[in-house]
Amino acid sequence: MDRKDKIRNFCIVAHIDHGKSTLADRLIEKTGTLAKRDMQDQLLDSMELEREKGITIKLTPTRMLYEFEGEEYELNLIDTPGHVDFTYEVSRSLAACEGAILIVDASQGVEAQTLANAYLAIDNNLEILPVINKIDLPSARPEEVKKEIEDVVGIPAMHAPCISAKDGTNIDEVLKMIVKEFPAPKGDENEKLKCLIFDSYYDNFKGAICLIRVFDGTVKVGDKIKMMQTGKVYDVNEVGIFVPNTKSTGVLKAGDVGYLACSIKTIQDVCVGDTITDANNPIETALPGYKKVQPVVFCGIFPVDGAKYQELKDALEKLKLNDASLQYEPEVSQALGFGFRCGFLGLLHLEIISERLEREFNLDIITTAPGVYYLVHKTNGEVLKLSNPSSLPSPVEIDYIEEPMVKANIFTPPEYVGAIMELCQEKRGIYKGLTYLEKKRVRVDYTLPLGEIIYDFFDSLKSRTKGYASFDYEMADFERSDLVRVDILLNGEKCDALSIIVHKDKAYSRGRALTEKLKKIIPRQLFEVPIQAAIGNKIIARETVSAMRKDVLAKCYGGDITRKRKLLEKQKEGKKRMRKIGSVEIPSEAFMSILKLDDGDK
Amino acid sequence: MLGIYVHIPFCESKCNYCAFASFVQKKEIQKKYFKFLIDEINNFNLASDSIVDSIFIGGGTPSCVDVCYIETIMSAIKNKFKILKDAEITIEANPNSLNLEKLKIYRKLGINRLSIGVQSLNNNQLKKIGRMHNKKQVFDALKFAKKAGFENINCDFLLGLENSNYFKIKNMLRKIKNKVTHFSCYMLQVENGTLLEKMCKEKKIVLPDEDKTVKIYEKISNYLQKKKFFRYEISNFAKEGYQCLHNIKYWRRDNYLGFGLSAHSLFNNKRWANASIFDDYFKNKKPYEELLTNQQIIEEIIMLGLRCEIGFNKKQILDLGYDIEKNENFNNLINKNILIEKGDIIKTNPKYYGVSNYIISSIL
Repeated sequence: MDRKDKIRNFCIVAHIDHGKSTLADRLIEKTGTLAKRDMQDQLLDSMELEREKGITIKLTPTRMLYEFEGEEYELNLIDTPGHVDFTYEVSRSLAACEGAILIVDASQGVEAQTLANAYLAIDNNLEILPVINKIDLPSARPEEVKKEIEDVVGIPAMHAPCISAKDGTNIDEVLKMIVKEFPAPKGDENEKLKCLIFDSYYDNFKGAICLIRVFDGTVKVGDKIKMMQTGKVYDVNEVGIFVPNTKSTGVLKAGDVGYLACSIKTIQDVCVGDTITDANNPIETALPGYKKVQPVVFCGIFPVDGAKYQELKDALEKLKLNDASLQYEPEVSQALGFGFRCGFLGLLHLEIISERLEREFNLDIITTAPGVYYLVHKTNGEVLKLSNPSSLPSPVEIDYIEEPMVKANIFTPPEYVGAIMELCQEKRGIYKGLTYLEKKRVRVDYTLPLGEIIYDFFDSLKSRTKGYASFDYEMADFERSDLVRVDILLNGEKCDALSIIVHKDKAYSRGRALTEKLKKIIPRQLFEVPIQAAIGNKIIARETVSAMRKDVLAKCYGGDITRKRKLLEKQKEGKKRMRKIGSVEIPSEAFMSILKLDDGDK
Repeated sequence: MLGIYVHIPFCESKCNYCAFASFVQKKEIQKKYFKFLIDEINNFNLASDSIVDSIFIGGGTPSCVDVCYIETIMSAIKNKFKILKDAEITIEANPNSLNLEKLKIYRKLGINRLSIGVQSLNNNQLKKIGRMHNKKQVFDALKFAKKAGFENINCDFLLGLENSNYFKIKNMLRKIKNKVTHFSCYMLQVENGTLLEKMCKEKKIVLPDEDKTVKIYEKISNYLQKKKFFRYEISNFAKEGYQCLHNIKYWRRDNYLGFGLSAHSLFNNKRWANASIFDDYFKNKKPYEELLTNQQIIEEIIMLGLRCEIGFNKKQILDLGYDIEKNENFNNLINKNILIEKGDIIKTNPKYYGVSNYIISSIL
């Protein structure tokens, strides 16, 4: 038997929360890859945040050894994220595999990302193995779910293993199926070297590490390799596999999944999706690689303490090492000073990055309201692509603006269709269709502006459907739209960091909500502070923070001034978190308030 | 010069808004407490050669305890310290616990200043905040005080009570302004854990909003100043020559010693306090003791000075190492006339007394 015939490269895909990471844990445990004492829950979710939020953000590969019919097989598993923001990461891991396990929750059935991920796998010509998980739940209905998979996804599922990853039921069956169902990798280890970089991360000692899948040829320590896209040549220092920590093996051959280190100083030199070949004996055409991922959600990130700009810059650089999709460029705001305009794959991605900045790098940051990017067609024929509201040209220079749209499909029990349509209508959605997948499951299709989705679409959807609906979207075209910029003026001075771009019909209500919210957040000052919302020169809403009148007329008794001192200490601390806009002091939370604008304002 | 504060933590009843160390206690506890208090004074072995120019017997309600206790306290102090001939000696009192006889004894003990917790002259308001006296008793007390020979009298008033407005309060002050030399006007604070807090939450009492009360306060302050009660500290108004010497010590950071439950002391830049629970006090525990750092001293000078008419001296803090003129916020406040500069003396513009915490925290 050929060496390659005993290798299986596969990944696990599923809707969020259907149990990917738990199954990965069980597979690792069952194959004895790690001793039980080294096991911890959600083993492959190495980030603290991943474990806490119960989500997988990064891809993590693991090699497991499994004995089947007297032969030892090498199973390379790549765990993938389930959230819609990280579809891109999923598609990358798929290109390194021959098979995909599609997990479906036995009680919830097919959800939006089940379908999206299954289609991704089909597009990548992967063999798909459906697995019904959580059969230990009282509400499990495995037979119905199997039928659902066949009907909705359109792949055979009658022989799908029914498992409980939590309890460890039927895990062996999954392992057997992996060996039997998934094809062995093709390729020739004697051919010219051809590897795909499907991910990368930064190691403080070894430099940038490439996660690779070898398609043809052999790579070993000491080889001279060439990155085809960047054209750079490196000496290989280390090659190895993940078990799931890195383990040096000295060589990787066609069909293998592993890593490669060659003292690459910056991660920017590693282009995920690039092809690695032999520098002395290169192949001619590179692998197709991936579409470069485009961020869709943008916001400004500024240090609370202006002096920490450099620290923020270093932190972003470090995060970028492991997160190719994160984009940032310097930005200067009158209100917030020096910072960065950052691009993200979605709101969850934004949230994760800002949390990591605060936790792992101990930075106090201010994030401005998230927005999307627009195509601004100027009257002079120029087209601008911009995401920062404050760089929008004046209305007279604008011919029209286009905004990004998404194709959204929402899976829901039929009783919530009305509520969902109402929500989509509010969000300026265009109805595209409604399909009954089976009696209790409907798919609703809409085209929606991305800008509306990033506010609170997801939360509203969950609350209006009691959590039953699931949602997936893909980017669609830009469409012409009647958009305006709403500015916020504090004491007559424009605060650039608070400007937002909204649809004309919503400008008034947003402006009003924003001023009301700011009134609650901005503390009273020595003078009256008018808060105005304006479109151009036209004021559309106004609130006033009345002047502070009193803070001390209490009794200072018996010479006890310690209480007064404590109070002052507290006030002094508070001041440090304030930003000055003209003469008005506003707390840093104010800038994030726009995010939560819709809370309770409906 | 030295000030002495003695705390009498007993009341006939606890007022709804009170968060101070005061208790309604049986006689036995009082007996034990005063014995301990006298021991504390007798055993004190610092500053015995200082000359005392102010004594303040506060509480609680010092006037509600048996007058013999006040007598023993006064003699203990006189034994221990040298007392200036015309030292200011104040006792706090509630209108309902004063009678002519008691007042005469106070005078005999050398007490020459009376501070009466009037709070309001409206019987409904008084009842609502849990005060035991009524309007008539206030006038009676003032009458007795005059008869007993008290010339220096303060009345405490609370602003921000239910159903109050400027005219009502002005009328109250008008009725007694000729009988007193000093007013302390405080804004009612809803402190954590008080009955008042509970009443507010349960909507059993509806207090006017802060803005309204501050407006009243400003008008009352103007009224009092027109009537020659001079605002020498944020909440204190006095006729010429009748400022409370003891109070001023707190703001000027002069030395003062506190005896009794939860009493605070400042002596040569060292601050300490007694325990505020009887058991701890009886065990002589000192929950707080601190030698102030240079930084703390500077902060105190600014913070306390800006609460008063006397302000603070720029040079004094420069000598301590803080050049306030290099502080941008400070210069802004001067330019906006929120702080007033007269030579080396910096004062708060009285218009902005109400927000002095804000001002102070921006220049520290």
